[in-house]
Amino acid sequence: MSKPTVGIFGLTGCAGDQLAILNCEDQLLDLVALIDVREFLMASSENDTVCPLDIALVEGAVVSEKDAGRLRAIRKRSKAVVALGTCAVWGGVAAMDRGTDRRKLVEEVYGPVGLGYDSIPAQALHEVVKVDLNITGCPIEKDHFLAAIANLLNGNAPQYAQYPVCTECRMLENNCLLVERGEICCGPITAAGCQARCPGLRVACVGCRGPATDFNAPSLIAMLAEKGFDRERTAARLRTFSPVEVAS
Amino acid sequence: MSVVVIEHLARVEGHGGITVELEGDTVANVRFDVFEGARLLETLIRGKSYDEVAPTLSRICSICSAAHTLTSLKATENAFDVHVSPQTELLRELMFRGESIESHALHLFLLAAPDYLDYPSAIAMAADKPAAVLLGLRMKKLGNLIQETIGGRAIHPVNAVPGGFGKPPTVDQLIELRSGLTQGMADSDAAIDVMASLPAADFCHSDTVFAALRSPNLDSYYSGDEIMAVSDGNRAIVHAADYKSLTNEQSLPHSHAKHSNFRGRPFMVGSLARLTVNPRRLTGRLAVAMKRLKFQLPADNPMDNNKAQALELISDVERALEIIEQLLRAGVKDERPVPIHPRAGTGTAITEAPRGMLIHSYTYDAEGRIVSADVITPTALNAASMELHFRRAVEQSADREEGVISKRLQMIARAYDPCISCSVHLLRRR
Repeated sequence: MSKPTVGIFGLTGCAGDQLAILNCEDQLLDLVALIDVREFLMASSENDTVCPLDIALVEGAVVSEKDAGRLRAIRKRSKAVVALGTCAVWGGVAAMDRGTDRRKLVEEVYGPVGLGYDSIPAQALHEVVKVDLNITGCPIEKDHFLAAIANLLNGNAPQYAQYPVCTECRMLENNCLLVERGEICCGPITAAGCQARCPGLRVACVGCRGPATDFNAPSLIAMLAEKGFDRERTAARLRTFSPVEVAS
Repeated sequence: MSVVVIEHLARVEGHGGITVELEGDTVANVRFDVFEGARLLETLIRGKSYDEVAPTLSRICSICSAAHTLTSLKATENAFDVHVSPQTELLRELMFRGESIESHALHLFLLAAPDYLDYPSAIAMAADKPAAVLLGLRMKKLGNLIQETIGGRAIHPVNAVPGGFGKPPTVDQLIELRSGLTQGMADSDAAIDVMASLPAADFCHSDTVFAALRSPNLDSYYSGDEIMAVSDGNRAIVHAADYKSLTNEQSLPHSHAKHSNFRGRPFMVGSLARLTVNPRRLTGRLAVAMKRLKFQLPADNPMDNNKAQALELISDVERALEIIEQLLRAGVKDERPVPIHPRAGTGTAITEAPRGMLIHSYTYDAEGRIVSADVITPTALNAASMELHFRRAVEQSADREEGVISKRLQMIARAYDPCISCSVHLLRRR
């Protein structure tokens, strides 16, 4: 059987998910032996930019027409498009205040010349093309990536937790930062899968994995309001990594 | 007129290209094109509470995420006049070393070395030179282990917070790091062997201004608040508060990055600049390694930045070991972060990220919410210097064949180890 052809792409972001792939130091050489990496600009200067792909791994958000065009071209040549990381899955930090006037922001940062830049409100991949698999995280967990590749090679879809970080945190028997210390912790509404990394270090969850499938945001906001936290600012905090209005 | 265009620079972080316009044999125009999308984080961060700033601005760049996090924390702590514990200072310096080891190993072995040996990638190189690639991966993993142990995660660290750390590492964790670093000592020597075995990259010579943080104890990426610029034996100092004198305010149509200069001249930041500004670090194993690399200061070849990174792999491993010994001797305390009392004011921090000076400067309101934020990254500082060196390389090339020129330009660009996601985040226009 021929090896599946794979492309690894970055739209606009921090390249953290491509770096997470390169951080699989112990598996990297075995991994590239199992697949046929045809395009990976961050790691190779020899790229086939037109061949059909079995799997396209795409990180970053769409923040320009150029990004959107690249993504559509990737979709066209790929059997499966995998969104890697919170920016690709949810829009990420660039999408945090999508309602704000984009032209005004660009002009403020770059001056009048900025008005000529190609800049659109940040979008997740699924808002532009059909996405076959989402692997969230800022960055993605290496284990989730490796499991996804192993599953895709065997024609399966990997399963990821639907519950929030809060559930994971309780299973690990961490002290609750929200209830016991009165800190704004996004654990109750954020997608699990990180083994509650931050609360385990006595640091409140900032929501970097985006919203969980099952969560109760109004109850979190109400609980935080009871502890004296301003509703609007709490809602803004919950939107940092995802524009999805979890707080209404 | 003929044009050399590198549409999309490979084996670097982010999206950029190079354009050189020739009129006959004269170089008319040189551009480092940055077309990384604008994320506008400097404006989106406005109104955020002080504890949200580092985790948000860390996302500017993954490879430098520890440096962005720690520089952000220092700027915030400076604004609120917070003084962290000596243990926190040591742990932060250790994180910097971990990031530097990871970043340099990634850059030297996976991104830059394939050029010297004519491979398109480290993956292709691994088929013929497995030992060099495995060495690079091993050092990279060591750097990541340090970042994971101290920072809680290799990319976008979570454990470093305003005032200190969520949870300091345990003695057992530090002992495990120490044994990894002992192997790292041998590996960093082997890295010098690999670098010394590469063909010379001798196609660009130029007078260069170098700028780096002047470190008070000669070997810190995190302490100090003076920038020293060195050129032709002349030295000049810029204080942290005056950092804006290093950047001009001009945005360019071809680039989302703005350009910087020192007294009208472009300057280079990064490993080579650090060694030039702090040459007294070059003793012991470093002095021996310098000889093996045929590396001399002052350097006039930007490709020497690769050699300087290899030298820093040695000093980073040594310094990380020293820090761990110091922590173990003192006993690691399970201390909590220093309490923060926000107040209105401005705080600036300058540090040395793996690819050069990094500046964060914030103004806060009385409640501890961001009024304005400036972030100046090494790749942005380097942009003008890169263009200067592209120009010199083309001028000095007797061979006018496009393929030759193109390859040399790409090698120079990679020697700067650019981080293009970083470069689009710059001084906000006033």
